[in-house]
Amino acid sequence: MGGRIRGLMSGIAALSVLVACGGATGGGTTTTTGADIILGAPLSLTGSSSKEGGLAKQGYDMWQTWVNQQGGINVKGVKHKVQIKYADDQSKPDISAQLTQSLITDQKVQFLLGPYGSGPTASDAVIAEKNSIPMVEGNGAAQAIFSKGYKYTFGVLSPANKYLQGVIDLAATLNPKPSTIAMLAADDSFSQEVAAAVNDYAPGKGFSVVYNQKYPNGSTDVSSLVAAAKAKNPDILLNSGHLAEAIAINKAAKDLQLNAKLFAYSVGPSTPDFVNALGKDSYYVMDGSQWTPQVKYKPTFYLSVADYTAAYKSTFNTQEDPDYHVAESTAACLALQKAIENAGTVTNTDKVRDALASLDVMTFFGEIKFDNRGVNVTKPMVVEQIQTDGKHHTVFPSDVADKQVQYPTPPWSQR
Amino acid sequence: MSEAAFSTQPSRTGRRIRRAILIAFLLVVVVVLVLPLTLTQQAADANLDPTTLGIDFAINKSIVRTETTIAMFVALAAAWNLIGGLTGYAAFGNVAFFGLGAYTVGFLTDKQHLSFALALPLAPLVAAAFAGLIGVPLLRLRGHYFAIATLGTGVAVGEVIKNLDVFGGATGLFPPILRHADALFFYLMAANAGLAVVVTWLVMRSRFGYGLIAIRENEEAASVLGVNTTAYKVGAFALAAALTGLAGGIFAQWSSFIDQESVFPIQYNVQMILMAIIGGAGTLFGPVAGAIVLEWLILSLAGGGASAVYAQMGLGVLLAVTVIFVPRGVVDFFGGSSKLSLGYFRRSLRETSV
Amino acid sequence: MSLFVQQVILGLMLGGVYVAVAIGFSLVWGVLNIVNLAHGALVVVGMYATWFLFTHAGIDPFLTLPLDAVVLFAIGYLVQRGLINRVIRAPLFFTLLLTFGINLVLINLFLLWFKADFRSVTTSYSGAGLNVGAVTIPYIRLAALVIAMLLAGAVGFFMNRTRTGFAIQAVGADKDAAQLVGIDLRHVYALTFAVGAACAGVAGGLLSTVQAISPTAGEPYTLQAFVVVILGGLGRVSATVVGGLLFGLIEVLAQSQVPGLGAGWSNAIAFAVLVLVLVLRPQGLLGRLA
Repeated sequence: MGGRIRGLMSGIAALSVLVACGGATGGGTTTTTGADIILGAPLSLTGSSSKEGGLAKQGYDMWQTWVNQQGGINVKGVKHKVQIKYADDQSKPDISAQLTQSLITDQKVQFLLGPYGSGPTASDAVIAEKNSIPMVEGNGAAQAIFSKGYKYTFGVLSPANKYLQGVIDLAATLNPKPSTIAMLAADDSFSQEVAAAVNDYAPGKGFSVVYNQKYPNGSTDVSSLVAAAKAKNPDILLNSGHLAEAIAINKAAKDLQLNAKLFAYSVGPSTPDFVNALGKDSYYVMDGSQWTPQVKYKPTFYLSVADYTAAYKSTFNTQEDPDYHVAESTAACLALQKAIENAGTVTNTDKVRDALASLDVMTFFGEIKFDNRGVNVTKPMVVEQIQTDGKHHTVFPSDVADKQVQYPTPPWSQR
Repeated sequence: MSEAAFSTQPSRTGRRIRRAILIAFLLVVVVVLVLPLTLTQQAADANLDPTTLGIDFAINKSIVRTETTIAMFVALAAAWNLIGGLTGYAAFGNVAFFGLGAYTVGFLTDKQHLSFALALPLAPLVAAAFAGLIGVPLLRLRGHYFAIATLGTGVAVGEVIKNLDVFGGATGLFPPILRHADALFFYLMAANAGLAVVVTWLVMRSRFGYGLIAIRENEEAASVLGVNTTAYKVGAFALAAALTGLAGGIFAQWSSFIDQESVFPIQYNVQMILMAIIGGAGTLFGPVAGAIVLEWLILSLAGGGASAVYAQMGLGVLLAVTVIFVPRGVVDFFGGSSKLSLGYFRRSLRETSV
Repeated sequence: MSLFVQQVILGLMLGGVYVAVAIGFSLVWGVLNIVNLAHGALVVVGMYATWFLFTHAGIDPFLTLPLDAVVLFAIGYLVQRGLINRVIRAPLFFTLLLTFGINLVLINLFLLWFKADFRSVTTSYSGAGLNVGAVTIPYIRLAALVIAMLLAGAVGFFMNRTRTGFAIQAVGADKDAAQLVGIDLRHVYALTFAVGAACAGVAGGLLSTVQAISPTAGEPYTLQAFVVVILGGLGRVSATVVGGLLFGLIEVLAQSQVPGLGAGWSNAIAFAVLVLVLVLRPQGLLGRLA
């Protein structure tokens, strides 16, 4: 019932604006306030990915605060404030689907922001599709769901296959040039897509993958794989997995004295936990990052990169830079906001969907422009490295880098 | 399972309460079944044009989803009851059947482009065949050993499927989305739940059922009395598997996305047992009541942000309280055959404590 | 060849961890006939205890082990005396469900207190190792293996050489007879569970030096303790030691030495072995028939 009334009210509001605009001489600059726009976000606030879910929530909250300070989303001169309704999906796909449906029907959310992780994203995409509600997601990079012909799901992330490409491109420029790669990957869909892309991409850049192995998602002991990788004496050790496994692999590499020249893990090193858990052992490690505070995009919309970083620090009262999980979540909100503004409607979700499909906007996160699957293919990934000052620095591509890469990684015995 | 022989005294009030509860329960079932029906047509229309309707269909869709999930767990708990409650074998890996059913439908609809209607009947068959296959060696084990062997089987099947690329590997399977079919899935799940109850009722009244109960109470004696224990146990196991596999098959098409994580979750094993026991294992309606109460609780407690942590803790405490104070389940508690009183708690406590 | 030797060594070291985890689990199962689904959570209590003492009091992780044991002993005694004793005569499922409930409560308490953050105990000597040719033996893992063996020895000594150990064994063999000769069942049950919990605490302390700590870090270990006990056989410390080492070896070698199968199969293989052992030899490789 509430939705109908709200719909009616915003209709009346829109009508009165039309009347006002038509009648007033200075029409177009006058703004009135419309009904709030309700967004829904199922997120892992507990469960196995609660860490990342919490970061995503920070990203959503930052945008919400900002857009409401501006008076709201401007739809043809009517400003609509934004409310985000959260639901904790406990990192479980079935619960996530249930909550997404409940957000749509019980909480009357008009648009969806994505959950954390590829599993929940896939099950929520189905719900978005069944309800014809657009969902913009910033935390599920696996591409599988985008090849199913779904119309209502859009991902602002660079897709999984790009995660470690930057590292390989970087490695190709290094001196002495590394030539062999050992690749470890968890057996979830995102990690497997990352690994498959490396296997396809690396040979063309003059590398040979000398060891390639997948391990069960959530493994705590990977030392036998690291030992097997060590026997191949690789120049580069790559991992495609998650934070816990990245920590385990780095520990095992030290335990077993695997002295690669370059260590890079898809997910993990960007988070403060990685540095806190490993201390100096985390130095020299790289990761493929969706975003870093050092990128040099020139946004036409929302905050600049520097302002975003500053706003994050003051909002959450921290010295830490925002993690890319935060940034990509904010970016999802921005895409949705811009699409609503372009569509000029809040109630016609199909028009907003079409506006998303034709969106092209430059933000602090990079360019957001979806291909016909709903994947943001234009934005590049960057490579960051934890350097010997204990901080994260962007090292590739060179036009956005703030520091030279520290290479080669010294052997464990000399650190 | 000889400890199951609690001393109980039937009383007239008890019987009256039981009858009242049963009637109330049936009423709830009727309402639950009819509710989606009245709104279904409006539902379909509402999706096309929300302004032409007086009734806000949105509420309906969420309720239907909740009810579908609950119906699914009713089927799972009632199916488990056949092997766990009646036969007394602590099956801890029924999720394997759920997953096999789900993957059967997922594989046939996504990879073989078969229609859901053709794929679904195969789900219970595959699950039952698998149960028959593993049942013969596994059902020779007793107690914890059987529990662990089934648990291990459940995990192993999921892991094997995850490693086979024909079944989508790590990516999982994506059965095509059926639009405006929410009510259909609810009725399928509810029908399966009803089927599970009817099957249980038939089994309990049959020679087969008496044989199973005899096995639970004393397997050697049952064998001496001429019960073909192996055939009976495997039969009960396969029956449970078929019902569970059917639920999995419906789930696959309903959720339109399955992977190892989503259809082989170990917690489902615990959940279905918990439901049966909270309701009353070995009874006809116990697992049904347990599933409705518990799944409703789980679903309504989910999504509360930080409070989800407390909700989970609450669930843990509820578990402890139930097994300590109401070990015979809520069906018995609400008047089954013993009187409601403080003495009931004390007796329950005394019977199981050292 | 050296890779194979390296893998065997790693397998044994992993097995050492499994031994430490499984000893307490096996004791509780064997004597009380309780499969303790909260065992993994008790291991995590040990991890956090060591982490806390290491980061806040600067105590070396290996020196915190006795403290872990004391803390977990107390927790274990109270849990058994206050809760599990209440359902110990009920059918099998009840203890399973009760310990599952305890597990749920503990994990969510960890989440409340420690958030989902990953923590780690990294000492100055982390990562140091002994190099023998191409084979590396990390000191910390070696120490963990040695301590696990010492723990096994201590539990074996306690069970077979002390009065309390005899009392526990007597209760495990025939509780009614034990009660007749004047053994206080409630106390002995609680004591047994407490010793099992203390072993879990020591295992947690050891694990904190080799892996990241998080609220759910204990989950896999409950399952692995199952497998170890089944492999070795119930009721004897020596069987648990063999089961643990064997399982460590199986897992590592299945990951790296089985052609055609990758490490992705390691869980599938581990559980297939479990089921096979159960079916072919339910008393375990070293167990006696009941």
